[in-house]
Amino acid sequence: MRAMRLVGAVALVVCWWSVFAVCSAQGGIPGSRWTQPVAELAEQIADTLGPGQAQLTVRNLSTIPGNEVPAIRKLLEQDLKARGVLAGGAESANMIRVTLSESERERLWVAEIAEGKATRVVMVRLDAGQSAAAVATSQRVVLRKEKVPGLADRAGTITEQNPILAAAEINGHFVVMFADRLSVFSSASGEWTETNRFAIGAKMARDPHGVLIPASDGGSFASYAPGTQCTGSYSLPLNGTTQDSGWTVRCHASDDPWPVYQSADASAAPALKAFYNTARDYFTGVVTPSIGVDLPPFYAAGMIPRAAGGAALLLAGVDGKVQIVENGAMRAVAGTRDWGSDFAVVRSGCGAGTQVIASSSGEALSDSLRAFAISAIEAVPESSPLAMTGTVTALWTAQDGKSAMAVVRNSTGEYEVDRVSALCN
Amino acid sequence: MFRRFVISCVLISAALGSSARTRPHYGGTLHVEIAGDPWERPSGVARRLVYDGLTQLDANGALRPALAISWEQDNNFHRWQFRVRSGVRFHDGSSLNSAAVAASLNVSCSANCPWDTVKAVGPLVIFTNNSPMPSLPSLLASDQFLIALTGAAEGKTPMGAIGTGPFQVTGFNNGVLTLAANENCWAGRPFADAVEIRVHRAIRDQWLDVGLGRADIVDVPAEQLRQAQQQRLSVRSSPPVMLLALQLSDTGTLADVKVRAAIAAAVDRSALFNVIFQKQGEVTASLLPQRMSGYSFLFATERDLKKAQELRGGLGNGTITLSALGDGTMQLAAQRIALNLHEAGFNVQMATAGVQHTDLVLRRLPIAGVDPAAVMERILWDAGMPQAVTEQTPGALYKREQAILEDRRIIPLLELPLGYASGVRVRDLHLRADGTPDLPDASLEDAR
Repeated sequence: MRAMRLVGAVALVVCWWSVFAVCSAQGGIPGSRWTQPVAELAEQIADTLGPGQAQLTVRNLSTIPGNEVPAIRKLLEQDLKARGVLAGGAESANMIRVTLSESERERLWVAEIAEGKATRVVMVRLDAGQSAAAVATSQRVVLRKEKVPGLADRAGTITEQNPILAAAEINGHFVVMFADRLSVFSSASGEWTETNRFAIGAKMARDPHGVLIPASDGGSFASYAPGTQCTGSYSLPLNGTTQDSGWTVRCHASDDPWPVYQSADASAAPALKAFYNTARDYFTGVVTPSIGVDLPPFYAAGMIPRAAGGAALLLAGVDGKVQIVENGAMRAVAGTRDWGSDFAVVRSGCGAGTQVIASSSGEALSDSLRAFAISAIEAVPESSPLAMTGTVTALWTAQDGKSAMAVVRNSTGEYEVDRVSALCN
Repeated sequence: MFRRFVISCVLISAALGSSARTRPHYGGTLHVEIAGDPWERPSGVARRLVYDGLTQLDANGALRPALAISWEQDNNFHRWQFRVRSGVRFHDGSSLNSAAVAASLNVSCSANCPWDTVKAVGPLVIFTNNSPMPSLPSLLASDQFLIALTGAAEGKTPMGAIGTGPFQVTGFNNGVLTLAANENCWAGRPFADAVEIRVHRAIRDQWLDVGLGRADIVDVPAEQLRQAQQQRLSVRSSPPVMLLALQLSDTGTLADVKVRAAIAAAVDRSALFNVIFQKQGEVTASLLPQRMSGYSFLFATERDLKKAQELRGGLGNGTITLSALGDGTMQLAAQRIALNLHEAGFNVQMATAGVQHTDLVLRRLPIAGVDPAAVMERILWDAGMPQAVTEQTPGALYKREQAILEDRRIIPLLELPLGYASGVRVRDLHLRADGTPDLPDASLEDAR
């Protein structure tokens, strides 16, 4: 009998603690993020109303989940009570009507305090929440993206929406090509900050593009923008004797052909150049040296190594067709219906060893990237689509040949540079 | 067996021949049809094609540089200087400079301007005013202050509409305004080679034309958005970017604020919303929309006929004239308001077309932007009630808005969207922050 009583007592305590824990989980955790704004609102209400009793109503016009509202109300009642305001019943002469509201920029909690015929209003502002990014997994290859922090146009509080056309890491710096300039970014505490600017005087375009090719010496580069070609190099500044950044950039007007792809082999120089139509923002199809096939106008090109040796040229045409040039013949590639206009060839070492990372066709609000293997004349998906945070405006092979660099314009018009790696699954 | 083979062949050829969606193509002619005038304010489609402002709003409503590349204020917002973008040319080939900008602004705003003086100093355009102008950069993005070649800078008068925008006027024949791409546009050449705007076209004919492929972009009035969707048109509509408001005179019969308050209480917003505008947009009693302020719900929208009759009392016995600016729907809305006021005991007379000054004016005011203070200042400016709005916190803005509305010279009624339908050839058609279609960034599917 005593044992049964003991078991009963223990069960009661366990049960009581369980109920307490559940209550804490339901009321305490969601409410904790609202503690500060609730306290602010309660203080303003108490300052306005003074000690006394008032009828309290709380309504939610915001995106705060409905199941969090009772916790907010409970917190508010507690804070009001601590300041001498008791949330009473319908018989109270005074009334506090709290609305959990929000605008596009922030949450706004509003209390209408009615005393007789007079109504006064107090408000508390809250920051809106943030969201997180994701990694796509499945199949043979996993695409992982990593934002290069700080690579954006930060000319001041009033910024031109200056598109990023290309970027490359050279000698410990990031060289970024904007529509109107080349900028050098240096690393400081994990973030890249702009340290030098060089105007390039390129012709403005509605759909601007450019190419930035690091040299194999690791300390210089060549850049191509509509109507302009630049070369840049870095040499160590004399320590302590000069303010010189060490960067030299020289630009000149040029209609010369552009290198059309960055080789997946970092040490190899781009082998193919193509003439760029600056009035229409695409490659004309005229390439040098000639490859013996008349190419159509195209947006992007890349060289695919073949298992049997040799290589094939992959083209994303202006007409939306993806074609492959091999053995003097040009053929359409099946399975590319969802491709956009940009792709990059990466040497992942997974599967056949080389994949093509292609942008999606842009029907959705945000683009995605996906890895494909090109077998014969078919593109076979090798990864799940990797969702990007906006529209992919440029995509090219990174210097290591194993990853791609993507420029993404988000819904607010800001640009970011992402490194997209293809990892074996 | 043969059937399977044929189906397989069809599928394979479809897979091989199908084209991916690419970057936008250049070329082609965009055929646009509109019910109104292409130059009318505030949403005339041709204005933003031909002209640019010193500043502009991006698609999200944020302020961006346009013909000015930077700006800064001093003397506590009493003085602003804007640096003019170099290398920009008007459509006639002449250079844009600060003198041309100042001349244009002096022509477009000769009286009741947001500034006392505007002048050119080197590459700068300098604005000065006795009162602070905290929202001047935002105001300069409005279509009233677009920069046109006036000729005043060079002592001659140019012919036609000449700006720096992505398209230039090439002609107007048989109700069609034709524009050609500005190859040297500072913001880049537009994708389309040309735009043809057929004006004053009946909505029914526009929809017929877009269905038959004779038009690429046509109007869809707010009240017909649902109908257009039912007819399976490809419709794009903006968030509510137009404030439907009743403006009241403060003289004559309406000199007493009680009479104006009675009119505010008598108007039945829900009838306008449900019947006239077919439940499109939002009912409102505030200048700033809820999405912008977060406090719009504090202003009561319900009709209170009893209160209206009490407030009116023996006042407001004279005849009140009412006019509506805009299309037939606006006239219908004005007639509905006249009926509401009649029920409250007012004697209201609808003004005939062309009458300039009436006691009540029903009009639409743009509400584009993201900075609430700047948007409120712009609404007041467009309503002819210019005043600087310097308040930044929601609480301060609410008090300011409350004070403005308590004077009952403007009664917000509805927030309305703008809508358009597009044909199958059009791609990448987006609406600007002001709800108008961004034609320079639109392209045609069949262009190469």
